[in-house]
Amino acid sequence: MAKDLTMATEPKEPRAPNMIMPVFIGFCTAMLAGGIAGYNQTAINSGDPALAPWVGPVAAIAFGVAAITLYIRSHADYFRRWSPRKRLYWASIFGAGLLGMVSAITLQASGGDLYSNAALTPTVAIALSVLWVVGLAISLVVYHRSVDDHERQAYHLGALWGFYAFVFPCPVWWVLHRAGLAPPIDAMILFVASLVVNALVYLWFKFR
Amino acid sequence: MNNKLKVLRAMRNWSQAELADRLDVSRQAVNAIETGKYDPSLPLAFKLARLFDMPIEEIFDYGEGLDHGN
Repeated sequence: MAKDLTMATEPKEPRAPNMIMPVFIGFCTAMLAGGIAGYNQTAINSGDPALAPWVGPVAAIAFGVAAITLYIRSHADYFRRWSPRKRLYWASIFGAGLLGMVSAITLQASGGDLYSNAALTPTVAIALSVLWVVGLAISLVVYHRSVDDHERQAYHLGALWGFYAFVFPCPVWWVLHRAGLAPPIDAMILFVASLVVNALVYLWFKFR
Repeated sequence: MNNKLKVLRAMRNWSQAELADRLDVSRQAVNAIETGKYDPSLPLAFKLARLFDMPIEEIFDYGEGLDHGN
């Protein structure tokens, strides 16, 4: 029989594990941390004894890591076929995700609100700073060693547009503030805007 | 840039994921090259040429573009 060179129907591929599950595990981890933080806040407000502040983050992260480990083990045959590059790539993504989740859970457990500018204890501030710099550096080294051409291009374009999302508004905001036409510059707004633009451009070039 | 990746893949009955595994790139990379949304780097083009055992210019066609550069 002649081959179908139009590829109207793609050859069947081995069934990949459902990728919704890792997302669901991440969601449950965040909900668990939020639930314990909420319980503690309610207990403090009503004068009852609360759990130690570290219980929520540790329980949530332990749950998340255990659930992901179980997920990977239950699909071991599929993941064993991955090349070393692909394993490194996903390890860097998982590492960066874990880093973000640990930071968010710790911030929430220490300051009450993830997006507030409320005071932190020096121990929490230093621990988060070290975690951020060292963890991000390690994740990025692993990521850059494992990305392919196409991903690298998407990453570079995302980074470029993220940079523009900072470079254009920042001086404008600054001079407008000096003329009394705008409030003082809020670095976190610029940071978040830059990250959002970076992510959108990256996702566009990666998955369009 | 036009290319014959989809036809070459069809001749071997490979899925995009299978070709991606053979090239050690993501499936999205193969799809982006096939649909002309992304031009591969020279090392990846050589990798493709070696995999299909043919010269790069038989896989990729720059068309009229080369003339405009002169």
